[in-house]
Amino acid sequence: MSAHQHPHEEQDFLFKYVFSQDHKMISKQFLITGFIMGFIGLSMSTLFRLQLGFPGESFWIIDFLLGSWAENGVMLPDKYLALVTMHGTIMVFFLLTAGLSGTFSNLLIPLQIGARDMASGFLNMLSYWFFFVSSVIMLISLGVEGGAASAGWTIYPPLSALPQAIPGSGLGMTLWLVAMAIFIASSLLGSLNYIVTILNLRTKGMTMTRLPLTIWSFLITAIVGVISFPVLLAAALLLVFDRSFGTSFYLSDIYIGGQVLEHSGGSPILFEHLFWFLGHPEVYIVLLPALGITSEIVSTMSRKPIFGYRAMITSMLAIGFLSAIVWGHHMFVTGMNPFLGAVFTFTTLLIAIPSAVKVFNYITTLWKGNIKFSPAMLFSIGLVSTFISGGLTGLILGDSALDINVHDTYFVVGHFHIVMGLSGIFGMIAGVYHWFPKIFGRMLNNNLGNAHFWITIVSSYGIFFPMHFLGLAGVPRRYYTNSEFPLFENLLDINTLITWFAILAFAGQLIFFFNFVYSALRGPKAPQNPWKGNSLEWTTGVKHMHGNWPGEIPTVHRWPYDYSKLNENGDYVTGEDFIPQIVPLGEGELDGGGH
Amino acid sequence: MTTISLDNTKYKAEIRQKTAKPLLWIGLISIVMFFAGLTSALIVSKSNSIWIKLEVPSMFFISTILILFSSLTYQLSMSFTKNNQLKFATITTILTFVLGISFTVTQFYAWQQLYQSGIFWAGEQSNPSGSYFYALTALHLLHLFAGLISLLVVVTKSLLKKYSPTNVLGIQLSLTYWHFLTALWVYLFFFLKFIA
Repeated sequence: MSAHQHPHEEQDFLFKYVFSQDHKMISKQFLITGFIMGFIGLSMSTLFRLQLGFPGESFWIIDFLLGSWAENGVMLPDKYLALVTMHGTIMVFFLLTAGLSGTFSNLLIPLQIGARDMASGFLNMLSYWFFFVSSVIMLISLGVEGGAASAGWTIYPPLSALPQAIPGSGLGMTLWLVAMAIFIASSLLGSLNYIVTILNLRTKGMTMTRLPLTIWSFLITAIVGVISFPVLLAAALLLVFDRSFGTSFYLSDIYIGGQVLEHSGGSPILFEHLFWFLGHPEVYIVLLPALGITSEIVSTMSRKPIFGYRAMITSMLAIGFLSAIVWGHHMFVTGMNPFLGAVFTFTTLLIAIPSAVKVFNYITTLWKGNIKFSPAMLFSIGLVSTFISGGLTGLILGDSALDINVHDTYFVVGHFHIVMGLSGIFGMIAGVYHWFPKIFGRMLNNNLGNAHFWITIVSSYGIFFPMHFLGLAGVPRRYYTNSEFPLFENLLDINTLITWFAILAFAGQLIFFFNFVYSALRGPKAPQNPWKGNSLEWTTGVKHMHGNWPGEIPTVHRWPYDYSKLNENGDYVTGEDFIPQIVPLGEGELDGGGH
Repeated sequence: MTTISLDNTKYKAEIRQKTAKPLLWIGLISIVMFFAGLTSALIVSKSNSIWIKLEVPSMFFISTILILFSSLTYQLSMSFTKNNQLKFATITTILTFVLGISFTVTQFYAWQQLYQSGIFWAGEQSNPSGSYFYALTALHLLHLFAGLISLLVVVTKSLLKKYSPTNVLGIQLSLTYWHFLTALWVYLFFFLKFIA
């Protein structure tokens, strides 16, 4: 690629930091906005856990933070629903979709494939600003009359379709839909860029089988996003038509306050089909980037080549494909034909195969590795753990005969928080620890990172593991209080325990946020290649520059996982235990990616 | 200190040449999925007992002819540009734009026909089958407006003589999108006629 050199021109503040078209700055913008949203979502969950752990008890913090959403320090029931809804929406979409993909796809795609920037810097900038506007609208919806959307993050009609249904079905719901429409536009613009950049702008020598697995995961995630997000947009639009124009796509025979509404002929189940056609792939939109990040970190920090590189790619492709044909497993109780239910059970259980391949490969990569337990590695291993424990309960929920018994109970809440929530967040945090030197040019504090990991892993299992027992006992999700029912009275202790762990988890994240902010400003300066990694991003300077490499973009000669490669004499080939991708293959040396 | 300038025209043109078409194609895939979602929704809704089978208004036939014709003229315009017959190219692009506007007008007439025959978009007397008719065609039209804007850009640039046989990327992108809109319309037309 030709590149014209000329004296450095300082861009002014507005175009360097605000309307930047540089992928690295946009990545920072996504990261910081995502973290702010994530912090808000996390705080919400801690607040409603107070209500669930200590139902009816007064807390000054609830009074202080929630204002009119609480009375005498106790949150109001309808606002509990709003908090649960907004927590889910923010965590799934704003933190784990835009925050995760937006940050790492933007940061790593050009740097790891050897490109100067994204295919379209302008669309990339738009993608961030749509995300920003969407975040602001979603937060504004917290303050409107009637409160924020309260129909759950899945916004099933009729609660979401009739403004008069519950307080949260009014303006709050409208703003939720507006925010999500803008969010989908942001996500699509981002995905377009990621796919085209990976397919068209790779440097010389960077064949598809020499791509780091992070890039493969971002590519498949973006493809899944392009295929599934438009369907959610279609679903949301029909919902807007029902809400605002009086059509009946999702509504039929509804009575409110003894009055029959004029809607007829629609079906709320239709919405569920459309929603879950996105909703299930969304799980993998969250998960795949986290898995890609983990692959990179596990290999680098074990000082071993990733085990089964091609099997990893094939599994991700299989997961991406299967994710689009399993949505019915969210709807086993909707009166679905049992035969159709069996088909969805079959396709769902098939996902266990590529997932198991991935887990096997992670463990085999770790096996006998020269493991460096950096915080990034700890969180990556944490992800392998949550992916297994959450995946196992997925087998139960994927089977219609078993799922029907625990549908809409805390078993489901425990399952998806472990397999999607924790895995996604662990992957994201692992990525931040690993690439912090690349993002900010400084190092995070390791001791604080280790403390952060141990508090997080213990407390998050402490939160979500007991939930399975609550679910098996029949405790339904989304209820304001479980102490009203004599049946569940003896389970209050478990709820209290979960809340204590939630408070501990929150405190653990404060350590991380402190470490993040302090190190970004005052942390020790990072060396160019702190983890002795092979991929191309470590060949760029610590100080960011527009265009990434000062001269020609380096040529790639090998796959990115040549760690601890030995010659016939049993010595390291290059004298070090890693061989960057830019080092040419020796005579007779085979390229690892081809195996 | 030196740096690579990403703002220089040559670099930008090179990247645009490499990436503009794939960007458009992947964008088109997302639009396909959007309409696939909507038309699948219609198939699911059709199983409801109160679903009414509707006749496609006659004006939609004219719409179909107009949009097919517009694709043809736009394709011609491309050939003229490649053969350096820029005057004819401008004329056929303007003709395409006029046909696009005519298509829009026929859509409004078709909705009027639907309304007059008692098929309403919303409200007490509406049926989801009618609502789908309006929704699908209106959402197609919304995408067509983007096509019309791109046509306007191409018309303006043609008048300013910005295109040449070797510089046709802008037209090619707009043309691909326009053909896509035509194909989408033909799909929707047959879908509404035979499936809905």
